[in-house]
Amino acid sequence: MDNIDRRTLLRLTGGLGLAGLAGCVSTTDEGDGGDGSDGTDSGSDGGDGSDGGSDGDDGTPTETPSGGDGESGPYEIGMVDARTGSLSAFGQRNQRGVELALETVNEVGIGGRGLDITVEDSESESQGGVSAAQKLVNQDGVPFLIGAVGSGVSLAIYESVVQDTDVVQLSQNSTGLGLTEFPGLLRMSPTGRTQSVALADIIAEDGHDTVAVTYVNNNYGQSLADAFVEAWEGDLAYNQAHDQDQQSYSGLLSEMNSSAADAWLFVTYQAEFSTMVNEIYSSGYEGQLYGADSVSGDDVLSNTPEGSMDGMKIVVPSAPVEEDNFRAFASRFEDSFDESPTSWSAYAYDCVVTAALSIQAADEFTGAALQETVREVTRPEGEQVDSFEAASEILADGGGPSDVDYQGVSGPIDFDENGDPVGFLQIQTVQDHEYVGTGFIES
Amino acid sequence: MVLLDHIASGLIFSSIIVLGSIGLSLVYSIADFANFAHGDTMTVGAYSAFVAFGFVGGLGGAVLGLPFGFFAALLVGIVAAAVVAVVTEKVVYEGLDVDSIGMLITSIGIAFVYRALVQMYFGADPVRYDIQALRPIEWLLPYEIRVTQHDVAIVVSAAVLVTGLHVLLQYSDLGRKMRAMADNPDLARVSGIRTDRIKLWTWIIGAGLAGAGGVFLGLYNLLNPRMGFDLLLLIFAAVILGGIGSVYGAMLGGFLIGMIHELVPLFTQLGTVLPLVPDSFAIPISNQYASAVAFVIMVVVLLLRPRGIAGEAV
Repeated sequence: MDNIDRRTLLRLTGGLGLAGLAGCVSTTDEGDGGDGSDGTDSGSDGGDGSDGGSDGDDGTPTETPSGGDGESGPYEIGMVDARTGSLSAFGQRNQRGVELALETVNEVGIGGRGLDITVEDSESESQGGVSAAQKLVNQDGVPFLIGAVGSGVSLAIYESVVQDTDVVQLSQNSTGLGLTEFPGLLRMSPTGRTQSVALADIIAEDGHDTVAVTYVNNNYGQSLADAFVEAWEGDLAYNQAHDQDQQSYSGLLSEMNSSAADAWLFVTYQAEFSTMVNEIYSSGYEGQLYGADSVSGDDVLSNTPEGSMDGMKIVVPSAPVEEDNFRAFASRFEDSFDESPTSWSAYAYDCVVTAALSIQAADEFTGAALQETVREVTRPEGEQVDSFEAASEILADGGGPSDVDYQGVSGPIDFDENGDPVGFLQIQTVQDHEYVGTGFIES
Repeated sequence: MVLLDHIASGLIFSSIIVLGSIGLSLVYSIADFANFAHGDTMTVGAYSAFVAFGFVGGLGGAVLGLPFGFFAALLVGIVAAAVVAVVTEKVVYEGLDVDSIGMLITSIGIAFVYRALVQMYFGADPVRYDIQALRPIEWLLPYEIRVTQHDVAIVVSAAVLVTGLHVLLQYSDLGRKMRAMADNPDLARVSGIRTDRIKLWTWIIGAGLAGAGGVFLGLYNLLNPRMGFDLLLLIFAAVILGGIGSVYGAMLGGFLIGMIHELVPLFTQLGTVLPLVPDSFAIPISNQYASAVAFVIMVVVLLLRPRGIAGEAV
């Protein structure tokens, strides 16, 4: 009797232990560093496809583009934003950017007419986003749709509402790497991939030939590490994942050390990186440290010994904070809302301005015509301008879409063939145990 | 030699696991259930020492890079963990009239309560003792051994505690009674041992050692509310590998599991370490699977010795 009890107990113990751990581990996987918008929207994309298809039949998409044809009224475009739900913090910042942008555009006007944006709520979910987009595209008949925040929401909208139409979709905040696969889906915020490319450039520029990479064992870490390996042309001495929440990374670091690489790259989270820095310090390893933006933070500074990271370089997605147009934007933003703008506001601002410019450059207010102009007005061929007013003047003087190269408040934009903008990143170097901005890099 | 470095870090990691596994095994042998709150008892010890260190940190001189205040804080951590465990035993476990599965589930709940309380007061972000971090000991560097004086302090303190427990169990009256009770509680009781009191002492010793393990884990790494729970699975592996219920088995199991865990990085460079095989010889299992390897070895041992290494034969 005693025998059986003990065995059953052991079995149950093991099972429960695993269940307990599994249950708890999932609670800490959230913040992807800068990629906050990716966190919550992955679930319900699949089932939405059928809704889009069936609604397309009985709606009347092209006949009633309200406002557009009334020659005098404002141009009407749509926006799907996360006004409620888990991403509503982003949504609020977006709305502030949009407000400022509308002011800017309507002061000047688009060929004598104004711009108006109908904003619908995605509730931060794919389902809500698709319904909102259907309303905007099929009922209101907008040819230009700004949306959405979460990468999963943006993709769901694109696949079920926008894909087979002429409507232009420009996501304001989605940073997921998957969006690159859909060239028809434009976005204003650069992908995490730009960080990897920038890091490869910086490490090579600093004169290192061999690099050891370690990344956190999840989608975020894996995709950034893969992109780095793709972009890196030197020797890859070490490339391994590590799990989160380990109590010791000394094995990993000793492996990195014996790989004899002179540059060490970390794509992980703050807590894991703090542990690693402590072990690097107490083991006396000498590698030159590099990191993605998710390894930087005040916590890391306060939990690591003074001087343990000096010289480390980190790239952080950033607005061009030293450019005049961003400063002007920031001061207007502060006047209106009593706080500094985040890059999420800047992205939304640029979405609206880009939309306005593409409308002014197009021959007619239809999706097909806007598809032609929206990429051109930000591309490098034309004259560089950093405000809507200046760009609008060029177009009013008879310039075509490719005569304008709008430089946004969030960066140079310059959509590539995949609909992704150029990444604008700040290089931060640790000096005297503080992060100090030491330059900017585009990738 | 790189092998020595790995053995050194294995020794340090083992010391912490041994401290955790002894308590788990002790409580199992006497209270008769697998205590899932044991990992979080370590966390409680670590954070109590953190608070205490804030008050007495500057105390006196230093030994092995640690101020005397740290050892005072260590004592506070041990006492706090023991007090918390005893209070839990009195308030919760003692009054529960359920079988060992019920106790086990209850202890998982207790683990969450401990962790939530720690998190409420200290937040989820890591903190560390305000002790000057050390560089590796210089005269060991030529041998490629990278350990700090703190690491030495961890191993030495663990050795002292384990030896103390051994002496207590073998040569003291309390130890004899504990062993009697672990063997056969009913017989111990009819022969006049106050089993309630012994049970309480078991909790105090087990939780106290766990508290010490937590303090050292915090010194070795950082403190965060999940530190103990994250280590608990390895501690269970150690206890079961050694033979659950056996204190000496837990010591041995803890030593082996910690060692294996830290030696896994060698798999990819076996050729350079072993004699007689070509330098390119390697087992392609990278360090991130260290825990998995430790568990595989545990399973293999259990297949050969179902009661664990030190467990009695079936």
